[in-house]
Amino acid sequence: MSTDSTEAETAPVNAASIQAIARKDFQDAVRSWLFWGLSLFFFMLLVIVAGVVAYFGEDIAAQGATTEALVGIVSNLTRLVIPLVALILGWKAIAGERESGSIKIMLALPHSRTDMILGKLLGRSAVLSLSLVVGFVLAALVVAVLLGGFSVVDYTGLLAVSIIYAIAYLSIAVSLSSLTKSTSIAGAAMFGVFVLFYIVWNAIGTVVLLLMGRGTISGVEVGDGVRPPDWAIFLEMLDPGAAYANVLSLATEAAQADDETLAMQAELFGGDLPFYLQDWFALVVLLFWIVTPLVVAVYRFDRVDL
Amino acid sequence: MSAISVDSLHKSFGSTVALEDLSFTVDEGEVFGFLGPNGAGKSTTINVLLDFVRPTSGNATVLGFDTVTETRAIKQRTGVLPEGTDAYDRLTARQHLEFAIDSKGVEDDPEALLERVGLADSIDIKAGGYSKGMEQRLMLAMALVGEPELLILDEPSTGLDPNGAREMRQIVREEVDRGATVFFSSHSMEQVEAVCDRVGILRDGEMVATDSVAGLRDSVDADTTLRVTVDRIDDDALEAVRTIEDVTDVQVDEGRADPTVVVRCNGSKTAVLSALESNGLEVTDFATEEASLEDVFQAYTTEGST
Repeated sequence: MSTDSTEAETAPVNAASIQAIARKDFQDAVRSWLFWGLSLFFFMLLVIVAGVVAYFGEDIAAQGATTEALVGIVSNLTRLVIPLVALILGWKAIAGERESGSIKIMLALPHSRTDMILGKLLGRSAVLSLSLVVGFVLAALVVAVLLGGFSVVDYTGLLAVSIIYAIAYLSIAVSLSSLTKSTSIAGAAMFGVFVLFYIVWNAIGTVVLLLMGRGTISGVEVGDGVRPPDWAIFLEMLDPGAAYANVLSLATEAAQADDETLAMQAELFGGDLPFYLQDWFALVVLLFWIVTPLVVAVYRFDRVDL
Repeated sequence: MSAISVDSLHKSFGSTVALEDLSFTVDEGEVFGFLGPNGAGKSTTINVLLDFVRPTSGNATVLGFDTVTETRAIKQRTGVLPEGTDAYDRLTARQHLEFAIDSKGVEDDPEALLERVGLADSIDIKAGGYSKGMEQRLMLAMALVGEPELLILDEPSTGLDPNGAREMRQIVREEVDRGATVFFSSHSMEQVEAVCDRVGILRDGEMVATDSVAGLRDSVDADTTLRVTVDRIDDDALEAVRTIEDVTDVQVDEGRADPTVVVRCNGSKTAVLSALESNGLEVTDFATEEASLEDVFQAYTTEGST
């Protein structure tokens, strides 16, 4: 009989475990109607947008910027749609297994609770990524026909950034799901996230302007006008959706502001664009939203009675 | 080394005390029946052993590993049949087993395992369509993955018909012959007496009796009740019986048409009968009532008994 546990057995995280859990979770989710519905949804979204661009966008097409237009319009839609999809895909990830008791099947096997959170995130990310890829690839054929060709680089860039954006929201969803054993509470939490980022965060800019108007907070005077204070702009940039839009300009030609606009923006800050308005910071924001919820979830999930 | 060692374990959920100073050991290679009515704390104990809940105080080791700090090592060497959990609806029996095999990093054959539990016919059918009994067989097959040193079976007979329960006992015996230790919980003595070497009876979070099945039977035999029908009641005769060593109680059953003496003793029945006859009474009939193991279980677990 073995009396010593090996090093791998005492480690809080085990790569093979995470992989096994992710594979199981993927097999499970890939058989759900949700997965096929999502793939179909993304396919339809792209095809419809491509159709609209092809129909109305003859001028853009003439300038050879069709894919940019496509990416621009699609990203505005996916910015709103991907969070919803991720929250729906992730809300039951752990709360559901705690509620049904099947978590005892999973954790009776040699997996740590941290393995479970990471494995679930990996599995669900694979499902959402696959449905994005399936939708995008199917649509690529249609898009190519409608637009008479497209930029593979831009299109792939949009796909890649969308996947990172999706993982950020999945991380939020899976992490919240680990904090409760009730899927109803988990569902309410997802709704809370939706309200926070779709409504509350979007309102920050408006509220700040309103308060500036009333003199409650003072803005920063620039030339003839007044702009919101740095902290308000910084706060707005922490919205994953804003970060998604900004990262797109790193990865594609589409959302790239021209030099003139950049110069104008920089002017508002006395010549240099502050770090939080630069594109690389948007990528940091997305990574922040992937890592922070996980850290909280891992810390807490490891300490509760299941 | 003992397979399971529980040392002054306390567990409270808020103000509810689930386990109170629980201590017991399970030896290597034995079949230990963990008995108690619903709510006695059986599941809480098993949950502590598998680190699903953390002890309030006290500690436990499984196969020499600490249940809190070395849980992965425990689960690597233990097969678990959890209670009251649903299988993963969208996964087939084969996928369930592949998950367990994958998780433990072993090379078992899913088909052979399902053959053993009588579920080979349904290997590629999704568990969502299984009956409770089929689900239970699937869970048993998962527990057998990797030839574990210890099997923890929580209410394994749930949902099984008598035939299924017999097959379950057969597999338990095979596993013990292979060298495994089996720890299994049940709320019914009937299910454990046929297969267990030792039995522990849990009541209100405390172990009220731990003994071999034979030992429990002996303690039952000690309280055999003897009903003797005689031609008449005679006080001297009753007094003579009372003086016999081993007789604990003598009563006259007034509710009978025929005079009947009820004697509780843990010694020779013949001594009682000859004492009556030597005092001139004619014994017309007698019967012994031996309490079953189930009665002992009842006695240990019913309110008001000691």
